[in-house]
Amino acid sequence: MPTEQQVLQALSVVEDPDLHRDIVSLGFVKRLALDGSTVSFDLELTTPACPVKDELKARCEEVVGALEGVSRVDVTLSAEVRRPRPAGEIMPGVKNVIAVASGKGGVGKSTTAANLALALVAEGASVGLLDADIYGPSMPTMFGTHAKPMPAGEDRIHPVFAQGIKLMSIGFLVDPDQPMVWRGPMVHGALSQFLRQVEWGELDYVIVDMPPGTGDAQLTLTQLAPLAGAVIVTTPQQVALIDARKGLKMFEQVKVPVLGIVENMAYFVCDGCDKEHDIFTRGGGRRAAEELGVPLLGEVPLEGGVTTSGDAGQPIVGRDPDSPAAQAFRKLAREVARQLAIRGMQNQPAGDSLSMTWQS
Amino acid sequence: MEIADGVTPQGLGQDGPDVLLVHWSNGHEGRLGVRDLRLACPCAQCVDEWTGERQLRSEDVAADVRPRKIEPVGLYALSIEWSDGHSTGIYTFERLAQMCQCDACAAPAPPDSRPA
Ligand SMILES: Nc1ncnc2c1ncn2[C@@H]1O[C@H](COP(=O)(O)OP(=O)(O)OP(=O)(O)O)[C@@H](O)[C@H]1O
Ligand SMILES: [Mg+2]
Repeated sequence: MPTEQQVLQALSVVEDPDLHRDIVSLGFVKRLALDGSTVSFDLELTTPACPVKDELKARCEEVVGALEGVSRVDVTLSAEVRRPRPAGEIMPGVKNVIAVASGKGGVGKSTTAANLALALVAEGASVGLLDADIYGPSMPTMFGTHAKPMPAGEDRIHPVFAQGIKLMSIGFLVDPDQPMVWRGPMVHGALSQFLRQVEWGELDYVIVDMPPGTGDAQLTLTQLAPLAGAVIVTTPQQVALIDARKGLKMFEQVKVPVLGIVENMAYFVCDGCDKEHDIFTRGGGRRAAEELGVPLLGEVPLEGGVTTSGDAGQPIVGRDPDSPAAQAFRKLAREVARQLAIRGMQNQPAGDSLSMTWQS
Repeated sequence: MEIADGVTPQGLGQDGPDVLLVHWSNGHEGRLGVRDLRLACPCAQCVDEWTGERQLRSEDVAADVRPRKIEPVGLYALSIEWSDGHSTGIYTFERLAQMCQCDACAAPAPPDSRPA
């Protein structure tokens, strides 16, 4: 029977392909126990949506199983999502806040935000979704709920629980029949209050559906929300690329890392046949990503089911999980989680916070 | 201090009543006199928006001005609420690095250390 030391030694040849370090020195191996010829341990990854978790697990089983005197290897996959930055006053319990943005409207930002949130839940993460589109909130419709958020003590509110996520929409707070007109100076104060008000609790990820464009409201959100990263949605048209570049600039100014771009409606999947039709020039997303110098996180097909699901009050990842678009969103979620995990590990884990009260 | 991409404060501290410590992710231990920080406030009241001219004069700021509370702003800056009630200034990490007054940053660069 091997010693604990020998097991760790064996495991230290298993490398995380993204972090380029071995899983032992990364601290992923937890609760190692030897019992007769059985070795068991937890493999604690930095996100439940890790795209290579099954490969890592198999590698672990293989190298430990090869040790003399080992007849059984029990690896339990778990995840502890890391916090890439110190907690502040806004959303203190949320480990990663991710903005979904676009330079222009109608490219599928809300659709992407909603499905990304559901896909992260499907991977086992705890997730919130914040619809901050003050000009046209769409989450009440997409999730088929017009619930009124419950108060949480004085001047705070609880998000609504819907389809496995904590949901908050600016649409829950305003009367749909009497849309508010948002004027410049009001926007900053109102959004800032909205951001502070919501009692999110402890969550791995909160996805923020941003208003389209790069105006005042967007700037306020990027400045105030403790964003760990941004995902920029584009479509194959050339114009969309110009807008994407604007979006990228906005995040750069406030030092929010752009995790990458998603090309939505990249190709067409019609009902009944699984063939991918390129109705636009294919490969535009990849070229755009190269041109902008950011990763291409995913390509989502144009598919009728996306719209019907959105209108029916259950986004496609929940409603038709096997459809090509849902699969594309699942893949996107793993890629987003992966980019965040890479960045989270690059920054030193932030021990103390950047909030302080001065001692006089 | 030169601030390379991705270098951020990892924590804050206090050294006595009037020195703010900034623990940078590259290991640098930054020091900033709080009154100098107050005087350097970049907000629109303290600096003329159009000309960039500083409106705030040294005699306008009490000798014993202190922060009350410090909070992060997004991923790129800190905001400081001051004992004189002022709270609109946003200090970017870049600015905080440039202003660093630790011994290493405050010392004049030796003549031979200039890049060729
Ligand atoms: N991949 C897709 N396949 C088919 N339809 C899609 C797809 N993505 C989005 N749509 C549809 O396109 C329309 C616009 O999408 P969505 O509301 O998500 O865009 P948006 O960028 O959030 O728009 P806005 O700027 O108005 O907020 C919706 O009707 C949606 O159902
Ligand atoms: Mg939208």
